Amino acid sequence: MQAPLLSVRDLEVSFQIGGSDVPVVRDLSFDVEHGETLGIVGESGCGKSMTALAIMGLVPNPPGRISKGSILLEGIDITTASEKDLQALRGNDMSMVFQEPMTSLNPVFTVGEQIAETARAHFGLSRAEARNKAIEILRLVGIPSPEKRVDDYPHQLSGGMRQRVMIAISLVCEPKLLIADEPTTALDVTVQAQIFDLFRELQEKTKTAIILITHDIGVVAEMADRVMVMYAGRNIEKGPAIDFIRAPQHPYTRGLISCIPTLQADPPDEPDALFEIPGVVPSAVELAKPGCAFAPRCPNVIDRCKVEFPPSTQIENNRSVSCWLAQEETV
Amino acid sequence: MVKSLSKRIGNAVILLLAVLVLNFTLIHIAPGDPVEVLAGEMGGATPELLAELRADFGLDQPFHVQLFTYLGNVLQGNLGYSFYYDKPVTELIFDRIGATLLLVITALLFALFVGTALGIASAQKRNSLLSNVVTLLSLAGFSAPVFWIGIMLILLLSVALPIFPIAGMATADEPEGNFAYILDVVWHLVLPALTLASIYLAFYSRLSRASMLEVLESDYIRTARAKGLSRFLVVYKHALRNAVLPVVTFAGLQFAQVISGAVLVETVFAWPGLGTLAFESILRRDSPTLLGILFFSAVLVLVVNIVVDIAYRIIDPRISAK
Repeated sequence: MQAPLLSVRDLEVSFQIGGSDVPVVRDLSFDVEHGETLGIVGESGCGKSMTALAIMGLVPNPPGRISKGSILLEGIDITTASEKDLQALRGNDMSMVFQEPMTSLNPVFTVGEQIAETARAHFGLSRAEARNKAIEILRLVGIPSPEKRVDDYPHQLSGGMRQRVMIAISLVCEPKLLIADEPTTALDVTVQAQIFDLFRELQEKTKTAIILITHDIGVVAEMADRVMVMYAGRNIEKGPAIDFIRAPQHPYTRGLISCIPTLQADPPDEPDALFEIPGVVPSAVELAKPGCAFAPRCPNVIDRCKVEFPPSTQIENNRSVSCWLAQEETV
Repeated sequence: MVKSLSKRIGNAVILLLAVLVLNFTLIHIAPGDPVEVLAGEMGGATPELLAELRADFGLDQPFHVQLFTYLGNVLQGNLGYSFYYDKPVTELIFDRIGATLLLVITALLFALFVGTALGIASAQKRNSLLSNVVTLLSLAGFSAPVFWIGIMLILLLSVALPIFPIAGMATADEPEGNFAYILDVVWHLVLPALTLASIYLAFYSRLSRASMLEVLESDYIRTARAKGLSRFLVVYKHALRNAVLPVVTFAGLQFAQVISGAVLVETVFAWPGLGTLAFESILRRDSPTLLGILFFSAVLVLVVNIVVDIAYRIIDPRISAK
């Protein structure tokens, strides 16, 4: 079997808050295989985006830093690589599409220039070659009349078009790994569908592995091969996307799935109230306490949850969950 | 672009008219009779002579007649006649404006480039020695009055260490040859330009530092880094161009202040520019000269503002779209 493209082991990312180190991502381990799509799901503030930035070697430092663990991209450890090595990897072997297309492009350069400079930096293309490459990739991401658009400034494009440009930037060097951090949150639903179609199409062509970060379960169901659920900086459930939707194991995952509104009501003329998980996401400082971070909100909480964090338990093929209840069932 | 530019120029002309009327009115209200000053300089005169002089200069006319005569003259390119210097005001100003422009533009460009460079460099490493030195120097530059800095520089670099000349724009026995003359002027220019630049140097280094720090936090800088661009490209291509926008804005807005600062600096260094002329004309109640200088300053400020406007459009494409 081929070695995984990306292998994250025991990752911990900490932030200096009020003089002490507070971990925002903890004990995180996962692999991404060549060409697959891994969905990372969780609420705002659960550490999804920080995980993505850690992989890119872009954790804002100070105040943040990778305090433990390793991130291997084809054998190169991102956590110890020099800035120069990271520059060679970023945009080339791995790239990232950010959440905010409105602010992620530099307002004072044309979109063509912003695509072309990436190609120049990594492939050493001449200006003319890089410009042609930019036009080509703009066409690929579905921007009409790319010969004209290439000289547009970001403010002349709509949000959806700008996100296409961001995708074009991230794909211009045909990376092996593409991290998409909530790429459609800022866009409306029809544009969202187009962007995901685009991702799928491009993945078929380029065999790029994708890490898709989202809090939209529907998107995960549609796009991902495997899913990792994060809560309060930790991975609490991991497995094939199909199982995640059909038979969620962790009480938190079950809660997430129950939150999806349905069109069928029972009885039909009396729609159910929308389900919500009670309570709020704990702050990073609270997480220093022992025990499962979800315990205060969990409907199935037992005494043990409050004192000890459950280790990851393997259940059936390729699935794992961190919950004492699951542990008891398998024992 | 052409349309908005012609609109700006139209506005500028209206503004200039307003400036003329306002200045003329203010000077008319201000106490002091030029004829009496003139009489004083001549060593006294009879009331008949004073009345004759007033009639000669049109000072016996009612205010509105004087104002409209003046406006009419200015529109024809005639700024009046200085009875003190016994020369047309336009000629006086053209004799002096070169020196002032040389001083002001040198100081402003120096402040802009060096200030921005210091600010950008100190933004790279927040708590480095350079960063702290820049903060300290700019605080000092901010708080010290410009004439005091000038006098201190003279004491230090002309008196204690005689490196630069104390005053003037050229050595009395002019050196031979054009090149030697230019060198001589530059040598005289150093201290006044440095003095005038000091306050703006402080300001621009603070401003560009703050602006750079803010820009470095922005999403598109993260994007630039995620592309794998070198630190140099990220800072000097992606961040710099966005970070200089507020500096350019302020440079335009402050141009008027730089000109008024030049009055002080020119006086301290006996620099033969408009500033010393303005100072002398105030003391001598030489209102045509003073009005002419104020008018020229207003023209300069408006022209610079329009130039800054154009520069702004070149730097930031979003503006020309609006």
